[in-house]
Amino acid sequence: MKHNFRNWPVLLVLFIFSLPLLIMLTFLVVDTFTTKVPGTLVPNAFTLHHFRFLWTDLDDGRWGIYGVTLNTFIFAASTAAVVTAISVMAGYALSRLSFPARGFFLGSLIVLHAFPTVTLIIAIFLILQILGLYNTLIGVIIVKTALELPFGIWVMKGFYDTVPWEIEMAGVQDGASRFTVWWKLILPQVQPGLMAILIFSFLSGWSEFVLPMVLNPGTDAQVLSTYLATLLLDTNTNSDFNLISAVGLFYALPVVIIYLIFQNKLMNIYGGGTKG
Amino acid sequence: MRISITNFTKTFGDTTVIKDMSLEIESGEMLALLGPSGCGKSTTLFSICGIHRMNAGRLRFGDKDVTKRPPQERNVGVVFQNYALYPHMDVHANIAFPLKVRKEPRAEIDRKVLEIAALVHIEELLQRKPSQLSGGQQQRVALARALVRKPDILLLDEPLANLDAKLRLEMRSEIRRIQQQTGITAVLVTHDQVEAMSMCDRIALMNKGDIVQVCKPKEMYDNPASDFVAGFLGNPPIAFLDGIANDGEIRLANSEVALRLPSNVIDLSNGTQLRLGIRPEFFQPENDMKVTGKVSFVETQGREDLFDVTLTNGAVLRSIQSRGGDIKLGDEVTWGISREHILAFGPGGERL
Amino acid sequence: MQRSSWLGLAFLSPALIVVLLFFLMPVILTGIFAFTNMSTATGVKGGSYVLNASSLRALTDAGLPDVTRSQIESAGYRVDERGLAALAEAHGQAVAEEFSKNHAGEVFTKRRDVERALKDLSSNPIRKTRDRKAAADLFKRSILNQRYETLDAFEAALNEAGIPKPDRPLITEIAYTGWTWTTANFDLLLSLDSTWQYAKNTGIYVTFTLAFNVVFGLFLAITTFYLPAAQATAFRAIWFLPRILPPVLYIVMWRWFTWDTGFISTVLSGFGVSSKNWMLDTEYHAWVTVILINGFVGASMGMIVFSSAIRAIPASMLYASEVDGASRWQQVWYIILPQLRWPILFITSYQTMSLLTSFEYIYLSTDGGPGGSTEVWALAAFHTALNNYGGNLQYGLGATYALLLVVIGVLASLFYLRLFNFKNLLTKPRIEG
Ligand SMILES: Nc1ncnc2c1ncn2[C@@H]1O[C@H](COP(=O)(O)OP(=O)(O)OP(=O)(O)O)[C@@H](O)[C@H]1O
Ligand SMILES: [Mg+2]
Repeated sequence: MKHNFRNWPVLLVLFIFSLPLLIMLTFLVVDTFTTKVPGTLVPNAFTLHHFRFLWTDLDDGRWGIYGVTLNTFIFAASTAAVVTAISVMAGYALSRLSFPARGFFLGSLIVLHAFPTVTLIIAIFLILQILGLYNTLIGVIIVKTALELPFGIWVMKGFYDTVPWEIEMAGVQDGASRFTVWWKLILPQVQPGLMAILIFSFLSGWSEFVLPMVLNPGTDAQVLSTYLATLLLDTNTNSDFNLISAVGLFYALPVVIIYLIFQNKLMNIYGGGTKG
Repeated sequence: MRISITNFTKTFGDTTVIKDMSLEIESGEMLALLGPSGCGKSTTLFSICGIHRMNAGRLRFGDKDVTKRPPQERNVGVVFQNYALYPHMDVHANIAFPLKVRKEPRAEIDRKVLEIAALVHIEELLQRKPSQLSGGQQQRVALARALVRKPDILLLDEPLANLDAKLRLEMRSEIRRIQQQTGITAVLVTHDQVEAMSMCDRIALMNKGDIVQVCKPKEMYDNPASDFVAGFLGNPPIAFLDGIANDGEIRLANSEVALRLPSNVIDLSNGTQLRLGIRPEFFQPENDMKVTGKVSFVETQGREDLFDVTLTNGAVLRSIQSRGGDIKLGDEVTWGISREHILAFGPGGERL
Repeated sequence: MQRSSWLGLAFLSPALIVVLLFFLMPVILTGIFAFTNMSTATGVKGGSYVLNASSLRALTDAGLPDVTRSQIESAGYRVDERGLAALAEAHGQAVAEEFSKNHAGEVFTKRRDVERALKDLSSNPIRKTRDRKAAADLFKRSILNQRYETLDAFEAALNEAGIPKPDRPLITEIAYTGWTWTTANFDLLLSLDSTWQYAKNTGIYVTFTLAFNVVFGLFLAITTFYLPAAQATAFRAIWFLPRILPPVLYIVMWRWFTWDTGFISTVLSGFGVSSKNWMLDTEYHAWVTVILINGFVGASMGMIVFSSAIRAIPASMLYASEVDGASRWQQVWYIILPQLRWPILFITSYQTMSLLTSFEYIYLSTDGGPGGSTEVWALAAFHTALNNYGGNLQYGLGATYALLLVVIGVLASLFYLRLFNFKNLLTKPRIEG
């Protein structure tokens, strides 16, 4: 169906619309590695000066970038691990096991899945204060996990639903307990789902900004998103866009790499899963 | 091991699928559960192996009551229609799984796997993944996995449904060979009458959640308990004529044709509603009780030809004959029915 | 109960606990907090009881009789067991005993009087004025500027100071530093002009962004569908980036683009336009930026969902229409768009919800500016409760703002549940054993 029509007008329109994004992306990279002729957009020399945050501390008191990166990694990785672990179990229960009030739990899952979680931030802030988890990395991890869970469980349940019942029946018939059947026979079948959730929630944690900003505003366990936001919103630094872009590029590097590797998989999750 | 099912009832929500069924399966016997789609064959099978719970009734293996036992404790091997091999394990691991679950020693497991692999002829496939096997090979693996732990009972749910015609023939005899070699009690679920008749010692014919007849294949063919059984068994299928008994004859509905009844039902009172079943092999040119009709359908089946003959009242008789005649569609023929082979059924479908 | 029931509940319980604690509880608590006056000043946990200068002023305003007021102010120094014991510890048993003999039970209004009484002791044991002042303070029983941790302690103190019973409830109420129940938040919300401004801003924001999302998402999906695979993939990848990039970085790029030293300024300066901040200089520009920022992100979601829906259309249908001589427009209009009815409805309702409630991108870009012109409801809730320059964060009032969004969220989610073919989901597990 491609041959009946000429493509170039469409291509042109698309290109024009994409121009702002293309410009932003191009200069994000160009600016960080070059110096410019003042007042123009023309680079005139290669430099690594904007990446100085990698070998010197930017200013007093603030943690070095590596500490912040480590925090971000801990935050994203533990969120991803916990979300995946819990979803893998709960998804199986909802898909395959019978227990009291199963219908109710399924309904709740859908409701939670659709619920806009940001609206809860104020109450969560107060809950963390009361629990004494305010301003700790652990607190943000738990909250982020909770908010990601409905999505994770939903996706996992979907994957479990596609595993043929007969495999499970055969396992039970071969004398294995339901737990063994799950662990040895079913889990290997939903590995793609497991990977999908792991990747998705890691990215989601890595990019998360609002939760760390509100629940963990201190500098003790800062993450890259809040670190970058402080640079951006702080009037002392917010005009040094080359530095900010360099930090941003450093911050986004894992995301871009993961995106390049898992591009198609990710598009499917974002499309089918609807959250994010 | 002997299986006995008594007063078995199974419901899903509001729908009763099996009602008050009883069935005895002898030790070492291979029994076919035969019936049309949706009659409850799989449901019965799953209840025997414990995947379904019985809503009422009792199930005994030998003297042991297993009604309330979970599937893991019943020691029943099952071969599923789609084989349900574990896709991530190779053939060896698939077969070894039931033994692994029982925590048998490694050496013992390997020995048993090789032994059973030899029995089902898949020794050279042990390192392959299920996706690298043909349908027939998968079937053999599934059998091996079901048999490797020496179950008391082997259940097969339409094991041949996914195979092509030639392979089906081969596996038919293979399964029977393995069953006889191991002497295991087996239940075969199928909706294919040929399979049931050729593979099994006895057939239990099911209809709408109940068993209508249990007996040896040949006996069921010759001596069906009802018009449903007669209609279900036989290919090409039996033809039925409806009519009313009158002085040892039957007057066919809407016609003047009268046929003499077979001797075992000759003394029916006049006016009884009747249904005669005439198998195609007993409607032949040389038989003596002649009827006339028009050939309304001709089908060449290779060695034989199949004809439908429409009588003047619209009823259809079927005949199967060796090839050679030059009968064409629309020809008028006068062929005969073998009187003593007529099967007579009462108004409720019961055999007279 | 069957064995698999236990396994099911065991498998579900971790999820259940986390979800209850951080999902269900926040929903309920938002409703509860909305009826409190919680703020930075009151704290979140309970409070204590303090009477100080400002609470005295408040008491006078609330109509406390002057007599009681001066009683509170003057409830001075009492020679009691507690003070004597403290005195004994500081200056020896003998001093304490003598002081007790002369003045036990007496009440002084001024510290000077106590000091004099101490000086008058037979041997004048406390020589230094500073020590005497400190010793006098041991008998200070004023309730002013004292912190009482419990209600009982505070009431006991009032009792001791001889405050008349009828005045006590008022004093207690004003002295309490913790939060209290109130419906004032709702009255305030309705009376503030800014509330309506927020609602209006939200309306503008949601309407325009949504329109952009859907229309542009459709445009992207349809155009990339017709392009050769390589080009289509390239454009999809570009448009997927706003969604996948961390929000903060995404805003960094936009800020750079619109900043007074940024791209637009630099390019336009070549045409003699003086450089300025194109994001924040006018209300109109702020809105355009906010809508584009959110629109680009939303469009990518529309693109993905619509693309997969279009790919699900049987190719034979498209071929058939081509054989029939349909132009590309006709094909889009008569074949593709009708097939996208459900995806469009889905994206519309989903995006409406998420636009209504999200504030992340606005906070990072305009932060509601200039002059509150892009302050949407969700951002206002956030600002009121969690982030304002004044420093007094009004949790209660913020929760009241959030409550409206939570209620809308719950209703929408329940609606979502109805849309789903829930019966289908409820198929029973097939293994019953
Ligand atoms: N889980 C279930 N819930 C409700 N009804 C069911 C369920 N499983 C089976 N049934 C119904 O029970 C009846 C018998 O099903 P069963 O699977 O035993 O049929 P079958 O004889 O094996 O048929 P087939 O030859 O098509 O496999 C069918 O009408 C089916 O719709
Ligand atoms: Mg079946």
